[in-house]
Amino acid sequence: MGSSDIHPRNQAAKNSIVRTVNQVRQATEPVYLRKIFRLKQVRQLTPEAYVLRFDRNEINFRAGQHITLGIPGNNQVREYSIYSTEQDASLEVLIKEVDSGLVSRQLRKLIPGELLEVDGPFGYFTIAAQDLQRKFLFVGTGTGIAPFRSMAGSYPALDFSVLHGVRYATESYERHHFPHDRYTLCTSRDDQGNFRGRVTDYLKQKSLDFDTLVYLCGNCDMIYDVYDLLTSRGFPSGNIKTEVYF
Amino acid sequence: MKYHIIALGCQMNKSDSERVRTVLEGVGYHWTDDEEEANLLGILACSVRQKSIDKVYARIAKWNKWKNSRNLLTFVSGCVLPADREKFLKLFDLVFTIAELPDLPDMIRQYGIVTRHAPVMKPKDAIREFWMVRPTYVSEFEAFIPIQNGCDKFCTFCAVPYTRGREISRPSPEILGELKLAVEKGYKAITLLGQNVNSYGLDKQGAELTFPGLLKAIGEYGKSSGKDFWVYFTSPHPRDMSDEVLKTIAQYDCLAKQIHLPLQSGDDKVLMRMNRKHTFEEYQRITGSIRSILPEATIFTDIIVGFTGETEEQFENTRNAMETIRFNMAYIAVYSPRPGAASARWNDDIPMAAKKRRLHVLTDELTLHTMEYNRNLIGKKLKVLVTGRDRKSGYLSGITEGRIVVRFASGQPIPPGTFVWLDITSAATYSVEGELLNNLIGIPEPA
Repeated sequence: MGSSDIHPRNQAAKNSIVRTVNQVRQATEPVYLRKIFRLKQVRQLTPEAYVLRFDRNEINFRAGQHITLGIPGNNQVREYSIYSTEQDASLEVLIKEVDSGLVSRQLRKLIPGELLEVDGPFGYFTIAAQDLQRKFLFVGTGTGIAPFRSMAGSYPALDFSVLHGVRYATESYERHHFPHDRYTLCTSRDDQGNFRGRVTDYLKQKSLDFDTLVYLCGNCDMIYDVYDLLTSRGFPSGNIKTEVYF
Repeated sequence: MKYHIIALGCQMNKSDSERVRTVLEGVGYHWTDDEEEANLLGILACSVRQKSIDKVYARIAKWNKWKNSRNLLTFVSGCVLPADREKFLKLFDLVFTIAELPDLPDMIRQYGIVTRHAPVMKPKDAIREFWMVRPTYVSEFEAFIPIQNGCDKFCTFCAVPYTRGREISRPSPEILGELKLAVEKGYKAITLLGQNVNSYGLDKQGAELTFPGLLKAIGEYGKSSGKDFWVYFTSPHPRDMSDEVLKTIAQYDCLAKQIHLPLQSGDDKVLMRMNRKHTFEEYQRITGSIRSILPEATIFTDIIVGFTGETEEQFENTRNAMETIRFNMAYIAVYSPRPGAASARWNDDIPMAAKKRRLHVLTDELTLHTMEYNRNLIGKKLKVLVTGRDRKSGYLSGITEGRIVVRFASGQPIPPGTFVWLDITSAATYSVEGELLNNLIGIPEPA
């Protein structure tokens, strides 16, 4: 059914009403609370991965939370974990361009000064205040490292170790954000990391204190594998928190 | 001028449609059951399932054909994904978010249709303006009151965060005002609506009542009003379900002892993939609290079978969960990906035959427990809210406080919305039958 099927009288008024509805929509932004931000910087980390930096504006978040991001007017948004710290003046997200992806490819084309549609923060993949003194194991694959970079930077006294699973060592992104002795890079396709193999292979060789809080972020297969591995050893499932990337 | 509205999907849309009725009737439109004689036709769309969106396209195709022979104005609102909205703009005359409802009279007038004067409401805060529209309740005894709009949970199977935006709590004085008005008008079953009702107030960061606080305020009003009514809520999220909520319900007669708590899956890994942010163990802890704090409460749930990647073992965990919890009702849905929801980007890899088999297995499991529960009601004297005529001649239907359907013979006409007392005499899978205690019609407590 196309617009030509619409009664002429209705059709005549159509353009003005669409305009009116769009004007009303602009006036009713509080429904969605989406904000338009200006991009400040694009940092290319690998041919596929990049960091977008934009003004913090009034977004107050807790490390581990995510925002939704899109191009204004494109009607498509995606969720991205916040990469920057709670204290940073700007907001950053780490994005990997996906071949079949819609938004990640659109965002990649942005240049500083262009606009972004931002909403949030959202999510519960955070550290409760009463847990800040506990020991943490962060396990992330690919850009699933983003919330852990935020947590590590936001809570400098945090007792954590981080396990980052990637294919090649070049995908370690900005590992300098983590103290050298707390970061282990697991590479599945080269020998340039700290460990050759998947994060699960690494964990199989390690024992884990059952009081540790384990945070898993990344693709669902990794999360399932680590979850199975840990719970099969009797590790309490209640000490495992997950954030699935899709 | 006549109008007809179709509200697809959840109770939230049905409640929203009651506000649409108010606005349309305010400018001179009259309701018709027959869409063929309507001058204004509207749909409140639902984006939860593809099937609902398909219905919208089917309907507007039919309506647009009617436009060849008569003047007709069409609109769509409700839960609409941005991508669908763009398509709808080419098919419908009016496309607006539900928060823009107060502007509907102006939109209609732009088509040259002369309507009765309606007060001009210029929205500063659109969703608040929408909530201020007084609903025209369809039912004479059952009212739905929205207490929040939107959702921040981002369950991967659901598109609501993209259609209704983030969670916004309605001011509690407005909720209480609407509730009191409904009670004073004689409404007996009142449901507080929201996508995550128990996270009510959290978005206001201390500047608004929390959900237990809101329930307490309602409970206090119920106590002081001397009126007999039941207040329900749907849907809460397990993540925000606290003992404080349950203890508050226990304190007040008007807060119905029925909890609808979506489980979705009984398998922790499926719950992770669904981004539900709770485990089955945590869910079980909540139902344990319900059983201990509200021993008489019924527990309803929602379950999805055949979610992306759900193995037989994971499905079996859901069946086991049903066996453990023993729900009084479960709304079991076969998973279908909805464009716009995150899970639509994953393979819908469970064959339909397997999904249907799982649906039947869970339905069979459910009936074991509902039958067992209903049998235990035999011999009990229960307060029942009459809801209308039953299919069986000479019989009426009603619901208990726990929303168990009750059927009973009545030699006298009893209007819907009347409380009666019944002796329960027999049980069926999803209902019980009772005998009317004639001396206890409309009386709050048995002698």
